[in-house]
Amino acid sequence: MFLRQLELTTALRPYIDDDGGEALLFIANGVGLYDGKFKLPNYQKGHLYLTSHRVCYVDDEEPRKYSVAVDLKEIERTEFYAGFLKSSAKITLFPKPSKRNLQGIRSPIPQYAYPSDALVDASATSSRSLGRSPAPARNLNATWACGIKPSLALMIKAAVSAMSTRPAASTNTSSQRNSTVSSDLDSCDTQSSALASRQTVVACPRCTFQNDASLPNCEICGASLQNSYASQLVQRPESPGPTLSGSIIGNDTIETIKFSFRAGGEKTFLERLKGALVQRKWLLQSAPPVPKPARSATLSNGSPWQVPDTTRTDTPYQRVVGIAGLERRGAELRENNKAVIGTAFEDLEALMTSAKEVIAMAEQFSRQTNSGTNSESSEAKALLSDSASALGLVATKDMLGTGSASETLYSTELARNLAEFLTDDRRGILRKEGGIMSLVDLWAVFNRTRNGIELISPLDFEKAATMWESLQLPIRLRRFRSGLLVVQEKSRTDDKTIASLLNWLREPQYAFPPSKDDLRSQSFGRGVTAQETAERFGWSVGVATEELEMAEENSALCRDQCLDGIRFWENHFMHAFDELTEPRAQLDAVQMMDELRF
Amino acid sequence: MATTSTTPTPLPLPSSSISTPAQSSTTQSSTFTFPTYTHFPPLYTVQPNLQTRARQLDLWSSLILSYTAHHHIFRLSLSTPPADLFTNPPRTRTLKPSDIRIVLDHMALQTPSRIEWLPPSTKGEKMGNTCWVYWKTLAEWADVLYGWVEETGQKGAVLTVYELREGDAVMGREWVGMDEGMLRKVLGVLVKRGKAQVFGQQEGEGVKFF
Repeated sequence: MFLRQLELTTALRPYIDDDGGEALLFIANGVGLYDGKFKLPNYQKGHLYLTSHRVCYVDDEEPRKYSVAVDLKEIERTEFYAGFLKSSAKITLFPKPSKRNLQGIRSPIPQYAYPSDALVDASATSSRSLGRSPAPARNLNATWACGIKPSLALMIKAAVSAMSTRPAASTNTSSQRNSTVSSDLDSCDTQSSALASRQTVVACPRCTFQNDASLPNCEICGASLQNSYASQLVQRPESPGPTLSGSIIGNDTIETIKFSFRAGGEKTFLERLKGALVQRKWLLQSAPPVPKPARSATLSNGSPWQVPDTTRTDTPYQRVVGIAGLERRGAELRENNKAVIGTAFEDLEALMTSAKEVIAMAEQFSRQTNSGTNSESSEAKALLSDSASALGLVATKDMLGTGSASETLYSTELARNLAEFLTDDRRGILRKEGGIMSLVDLWAVFNRTRNGIELISPLDFEKAATMWESLQLPIRLRRFRSGLLVVQEKSRTDDKTIASLLNWLREPQYAFPPSKDDLRSQSFGRGVTAQETAERFGWSVGVATEELEMAEENSALCRDQCLDGIRFWENHFMHAFDELTEPRAQLDAVQMMDELRF
Repeated sequence: MATTSTTPTPLPLPSSSISTPAQSSTTQSSTFTFPTYTHFPPLYTVQPNLQTRARQLDLWSSLILSYTAHHHIFRLSLSTPPADLFTNPPRTRTLKPSDIRIVLDHMALQTPSRIEWLPPSTKGEKMGNTCWVYWKTLAEWADVLYGWVEETGQKGAVLTVYELREGDAVMGREWVGMDEGMLRKVLGVLVKRGKAQVFGQQEGEGVKFF
C-alpha cells in the first residue's frame, strides 16, 4: 500500500496532524503523477504538499476524489530528473521493500525484457488502435513507434504466446499481474472478431465507398484513406505519454511514483524532501518515550527529544547485575544522551522540532503574567497563545519556490490558510464575531496569531481574500455598498440575515422594554438602532449598519429618522394597509411581497 | 431567538379607521379618524428605497385626500399646513416641509393628478407654496355638479358662477367653498363634454347647462 487516500480540511488542504509533530515544509502547484512511465489519469494537475511525514497530492479539479499521499517512511530513495526541453522536471520516489510483497526488491527494470513482448506490444497497439480501452497497455508496454498493423491471426498468435511464455519467464511478477494480462487478452480475443468485422470496411471521406481498411487509397476515387482513418481512431493524449487507467489507491502494483513539476519548484522540493527523509520526524510519532536518566528529570514528559531506541526495542532487555551491569547502564546512558543531543542539535531544522516545547513554556509564562490583569483581553491572549499550533501549519513565503508563479501560489495557499483559520472550531473566530467580521479585524487577529513571524502584508491579505470565491472555499468576502469588506461564511446569505433580523423585530412585545411611543405604534413591532442590532447579534456597529441598510435595500426594513438617530422597522409599507389603495396598487404590493418572500 | 412564527403577522387594522369622503357632508362635525399607518413612525421619514418610497407616497396621498375630503379643504398651503395632518398622533414625528413637497409633487404626477400647484403669489419665488387638492378629480366634480343640475331641474337655465359657489340653492353641497378658479376648471370639463356653456365677462359670468 504505497499510495493512500488523503484526508482533507475544509479548505481542501491535507489534514496535518500537528499533534503528531507533522509540519508543512513545501508546496508546489501544477504537479502531475506518474507510475513508472505511465501517467495516472485524473492526477495530472494538482498541488503537492510536502510535510515532515508525507508527500500529499491534492487534485485541482476534484480534490475530494483524487487526492493521495505517500508516507515518507515508505520511501527508500529518490531520483531526480532535471527536465529537458519540453519535458518538465521530475522526481521519482522508490518505495522500501515491503515484507509481504517481495516484488519491491527488484529494481524497476524496463518490462521489455522478453522477446515475446515485442509481439504482445504489437497486439496491444492494434487493440488500442481499434478504439479499445488502453488498459492492457500498461502491462504490455505499448509503443507508438510501431505503426504496422498486424493481421488478426498474428494478434491472436501473439496473445497466445504471451500467455504461455510470460508465467514462465517473469517469475517475479505477481500472479495478479498475470491474471490481468490474460483477462485483458481474453477479452481482446473474444471481441476482436466482432471488432474486425466492423473495422474491415472504411468509408471513403470523398465518395463514401466502403473500402477495405487495409487500403491506403480509395478504390473508386483514389482519395487518401489514411488521414481520416488515423485521425478518427488515434487520439493522442495531451502530452506524449501513455496513461494508466484504474484506481491507484492501495494498488500494490504501483512500484514507483513520479512527480512531474510542470510549474517549477522541483529543486526546493527535492532539497526539503531530502531533509525530511534525513530527519525522519515520523518516528517521533510512534516512538515510545525515551527512558530518561534520573538527572534529566527536569525535562517534562512527552518532550520532543525522543529518539527511537531501536536497540532497546529489538533486543529484549537482559538483566545484568554487578559491576558489569553498572558499566552497561553507564554506556546506555551515554548512548542515549548522545542520541538525544545528536537529533536535537543536528541542525536548525531539527531544533525546530523542539519549538513546540519552547512555545508551550512561553504559553505558560504568558498565562502567569496575565493572571493579574483584567479578563477583558484574556480572550485575545488565549487566541495568541493558541497560535502555537498555528505556527507549524501556515504557508510561509519560504515554503514556496521563487519566481512569479509562486506569487499566486502563495496567495492561494494563504487563502486556504485563512479559510482553515476561520472555520477552525477550536478558535471559533467567526462565531465569536457573530458570523461576520470585517477584513481589517481578521487581518489583525490573524497576524497576531503569527507571533510576529512571517506577518502578512495587507496587500497580500486582500489578494488572498479575493481568491476565496474562485477556490470554492467555505468563506466569502463581501463588499458592502460603502466599500466595507467583511468576511462571512459562505452559507450565510443576505436572505438569512434578513430573516433573522425580521424574526428579531417580530419578537413578542413584552420582550422589549416599553418605549415612550404610544401603544398603537407598538403593533408594528419595534424600531431598532444599529447599536442595538450590533449588541443583539454580536456584530460591530459598522457591520450592523451595513446589514440594516442591506435589508432596507431589499425592502425588508424601512427607516425612521427621529431625534435619537435612525431606527429601522419592519417594512409594513409593503404588505400592510392594503385596503387603502386601489386594486392596481394592491396588485403591485402583492407582487412585491412575492418577490420579497424568501 | 424566541419567535412565535416566521410568517409575517398581519396587523390588526380597525375597519372603521377611515371615513369615506362621500359621507363627509353629513359627518362634518365629527373628528377625522387617522388610519392605523399614521402610527407607524417610518411614515414620517422619506424612505431611500425607491420601491418602499413609492408605496409610502401612495399611503400619504390617500391620507391627504381622505383628510382634505373630511375637512372640506380645497387648498393646501405649505406655509400653513393643517396642524395635525403631517404629525403623528402622539406628536413625536413630523413630516418635514421639504418632504411634504415631495409627497405633493408625487400627487401632482399621479394620473389623474390629485393636486395642482398654483403659480407663486410673489414674483421672486420659483415654486408655488399653495396647491389645490382634488379629493375628487375634476371629472368627478363635473359629474357631481351636473348631477345636481339634473336633480334640481335646472337644465337650460342660466346660473352665475357666484350662485354656483355661494348661492342659497347650493347650501350644504360638497363644492361649497371651492376656489373660483377651481370651479372654472370643473365648468371647463363640462364645456368640453358639451354639457354647459360659459359666457359673459368676469363679474356677470353665466353658465348654461344643457
